[in-house]
Amino acid sequence: MKCAVQAGLRLSTSGRAHRTFLAALLIALGTIGALPASASAQTAFTLPAPPFEMPMVPSVSGTWTVMVGVGGEYKPDFEGANRAMLSPVPIFSLRRAGSTEQFRGPRDSASIAFLDFGDLRAGPVAKFVAARKQYNYSELNGLGDVKAAVELGGFIEYYPVDWFRTRVELRQGVVGPNGTVADFSADFIVPVIQRLMISAGPRFRWESTQATSPYFGIDAVQAMASGLPVFDAKGGAHSYGAGAQVSYRINPQWEVHSYVEYERLLGDAAASPLVTLRGSPNQTTFGIGASYSFDIKIR
Amino acid sequence: MRRCSRCVSFATILLVAVSVGACAMFETGQTKLQGIKTVGVISAVGDEMSFSRMGLTGLNQSSQSFPIGSWGLDDLIVQQATAALSGRFQVQAVSYQRAAFAAIKDSPVAPVNLVRSDPFKKLVQTEVSPQGLDAYIVITKAKSNFGSGARKVEGIGFVSYSTLLTSYNQIHVLYEIRVFDGKSFEIIEKMAAPPLENVATVGLTGPSRLVDESFSPSTGDPVRNENLHGAITDLIARSLSSTLSDMHLAEVR
Repeated sequence: MKCAVQAGLRLSTSGRAHRTFLAALLIALGTIGALPASASAQTAFTLPAPPFEMPMVPSVSGTWTVMVGVGGEYKPDFEGANRAMLSPVPIFSLRRAGSTEQFRGPRDSASIAFLDFGDLRAGPVAKFVAARKQYNYSELNGLGDVKAAVELGGFIEYYPVDWFRTRVELRQGVVGPNGTVADFSADFIVPVIQRLMISAGPRFRWESTQATSPYFGIDAVQAMASGLPVFDAKGGAHSYGAGAQVSYRINPQWEVHSYVEYERLLGDAAASPLVTLRGSPNQTTFGIGASYSFDIKIR
Repeated sequence: MRRCSRCVSFATILLVAVSVGACAMFETGQTKLQGIKTVGVISAVGDEMSFSRMGLTGLNQSSQSFPIGSWGLDDLIVQQATAALSGRFQVQAVSYQRAAFAAIKDSPVAPVNLVRSDPFKKLVQTEVSPQGLDAYIVITKAKSNFGSGARKVEGIGFVSYSTLLTSYNQIHVLYEIRVFDGKSFEIIEKMAAPPLENVATVGLTGPSRLVDESFSPSTGDPVRNENLHGAITDLIARSLSSTLSDMHLAEVR
């Protein structure tokens, strides 16, 4: 995943990068299209039973649905940037046959619901935030690197009705910048027909000073090296915005999806000279992807 | 580079060693089934049917349930399982408290279900007679999320799902099968019945099919709805033998 993200192609640099990405996308789709064209409802492969079973771990015997695919994400070079980059994103999931993936927003971190009452779910979350390297972008010259971050925390989500989800994530950096981040989101989930789903809703993020400062603060040394004025970035309301996504299941095997997430930086993140002089408080991410599902049976 | 390749070699050797060790330590369910000759079948799936409205349904999404004990579905399940198992095992009739088996629910705290002892173990020890068979096959309700939403459905039910432009109806029979060792009462095998292979529906991890409005429990007395009764019976008949064969309990189809 990280490799895929790092392999991102700068859209702004050349059209060749664009073509390379599209070619890779088509090759990948062609490859997965060459898999047996049976169905997610019909078994493509039957595998023998595993040679052993672990105590307390449910048996793997039965039918599983494998989903593979590829997508592209066009997102700001870094938080606060005014230029964007197109990156390939791999898609993979494995689940018991028959189940569909539960609704997931593009901004959701990886999570597991340890507590599951159906309409109320909660559990741990984890998020990886890639390092920000100053030599990758001219706007960052002199500001130094910001190390990659690993944030751990918890989430809680509540569905008052099937078609509306609210979710809060609270994460604490444990590797790299060790600030606290709280993400709030709500999504109206509208099945238009059985195969077409549209969702949309508002977003809000709060960050502590330790989470904001490494990305938006400018100390005296950085100011001298970058030419930007000194700025002491404090935490608080970080951004608000909205997101929407649409997914369409063409047939039991193929599904395509697309999403857009807009976020407007607030507070000291928006007031930072990095944003006011070299970037933009308006941050928009577009994503698109296609996936192919097939079943495997384990005896 | 050389160091990296050494690490890969070490990891490979370690993986092989762990796999071989694990093979020696943990038998498969199929191996454990080899010594079993006498089995008893317990079913607690079919005492009630749920009726849920899902999707774009406004604010009232409560579920209803109807008693369907008079359909004798548990007797049917025992009868069909006995027929499927008879080729391999000597199936003996057992008596049990069906309500006690039907009352057991999963904890909403997922790790609790993994850590605690299987709740049916004690019931098989205390509520089933005769004791002393080689194994007991326990068939109980299973749960599944419906579609991409968070709501779950369980056991036998009817779901009316509405979208912005259309709506459809689906029936389901969600159940799981456990095989308990008759001496230690440990679980030898456990599996939830998978979806039928020829269904075009998505959204449930167990047997289900689309039906029209005439099957709906909301029209008339659901217990007297012969369409509904027949469709549920058909789902059980079509899924039970294949699930037992997936568990290596019946002949492979």
